[in-house]
Amino acid sequence: MNHFAVMLTLLRDRPTFLDEIRRNIKIERKSVSLLVSSCLFFAIYGAIIGSSSSWLQAISSAIKLPALYLITLVICLPTLFFFDILFSSKLGFSQYFVLLLTTMSTISVLLFSFAPITLFFLISIHDYGFFLLLNVAIFALTGFVGTRLFYNGMQQISNYSQPLIASELSPYEQIQDEEPRRLPDREQTSKRLVMATDASTVDQTTLAKKDDLYATRVRLLKFWLVLYALVGSQLGWTLRPFFGAPEETFQLFRAIEGNFYSTVWRTFLSLLGFN
Amino acid sequence: MHSRLDDLRITTDDLDTLTGLDISDTFMGRAVRPSVFRAPKRLMSFVLSEIITLGLIVIFCLPASLVIAKSIPGFNDSTPNTIQFLQISIGISLSIFALWNGFIWLRSNALKTLAHLLDDVDKHNEIIDALQVLDELTAVQNTSTLGVNSTSPLENRADVLQALSATRESLVCGLMTERVLRKHQRSLARRHDLFTNIETNLATLQSLQLNHAANDYGHLLNDALQIGMSVRHEIEQLK
Repeated sequence: MNHFAVMLTLLRDRPTFLDEIRRNIKIERKSVSLLVSSCLFFAIYGAIIGSSSSWLQAISSAIKLPALYLITLVICLPTLFFFDILFSSKLGFSQYFVLLLTTMSTISVLLFSFAPITLFFLISIHDYGFFLLLNVAIFALTGFVGTRLFYNGMQQISNYSQPLIASELSPYEQIQDEEPRRLPDREQTSKRLVMATDASTVDQTTLAKKDDLYATRVRLLKFWLVLYALVGSQLGWTLRPFFGAPEETFQLFRAIEGNFYSTVWRTFLSLLGFN
Repeated sequence: MHSRLDDLRITTDDLDTLTGLDISDTFMGRAVRPSVFRAPKRLMSFVLSEIITLGLIVIFCLPASLVIAKSIPGFNDSTPNTIQFLQISIGISLSIFALWNGFIWLRSNALKTLAHLLDDVDKHNEIIDALQVLDELTAVQNTSTLGVNSTSPLENRADVLQALSATRESLVCGLMTERVLRKHQRSLARRHDLFTNIETNLATLQSLQLNHAANDYGHLLNDALQIGMSVRHEIEQLK
């Protein structure tokens, strides 16, 4: 099994990995490997946080934590895909799926790297509130780093796509694009200047449109990241308990009450002694 | 010496490019290689893949069902409810797993030719491995009997290499042909249907033309028959 080799390639050489996704190279193998390895890392971390309560909770959390990220991905993927293709993205659905899996994998690896620290605090401090907040902080940090890398990756892919877009430009546009790359002789330059002058108005409009399109896609991506965070946190709240409250028997699920943010705030206040 | 042998080897990357599928020891794209059941090591790998697949399906289905179940009025965390929920969601997971396996077997049956070719590729690579071992053994023997006039145990090595080169060429050609045929299977089948339709239409036209030869529509039907025969002639040339 070389699923972890694919994950290591992603971690070691992210730009090449993203470029391969853009060029649709071995997408299926990448998606399976990333899915398997990230689910395993999430399951391990889930089992650790669940073990703070009982072994049943550990098993439950080992299933729920990978599912939390996987279901969030499934819920949010169509929005990203359809909005992006609406604004001239050339990538396919499977490519978007793998791109999101890279985010999921990065988060899973980061969580896994935090596992010894979590385990240390689990053994040394028997404070449910502290353990809860520590993990909220870890999840927030890993989530932020993961989505930040995804954001950079999407921009990198958009930048890579520029030559592809250039090949679809009109001859006038291509000439303007080629200008800085070579040193043309005087005759060529004069010919091009004539053509460029004729088409300058068209070029300016097209380039401005492309810039607008790119800016819109970036704005949409930012909006989507907020959506991803909201869906993830709400789904986490719906799937709880992940930790299992002390002095309580094992529960597979809890009734929906309150929301994620108010509970974190209340726990934070009580930890500071305000409650 | 070894680089020549390495050039003769058909690597996984070569196979991926030639077949257009992800090829591994156990899978060819989304289909299982029949050779899995002949080698215990590959069988183990396949069983592990199946366990992982089932695990992933459970990981997805169980919490997803939980989210849905929680929105159903009257659903609470009582023991009978929980047991019923687990039964249903695990049942759904197993059904999806069974469907997935059914799909894999269907795909495997459709790719029998490719599976045979891949087995041949494995045999080809095994011969290269054996040749490499022989080369290394020869090198060791030559070092130990340095100064003594020794001959290679594989005196017809050049012939073996030539044979392997020819095998490689045939395999590559076979894989490429299989890919082309697989890719155009649908259009080939469609062309056959098209031809059958044309034959049927032509027969209808002929019978109509015979029935109405004496009346005013006779020449129109004759024209239609001529067009039909012309189309059949064109399609026959394509076949």
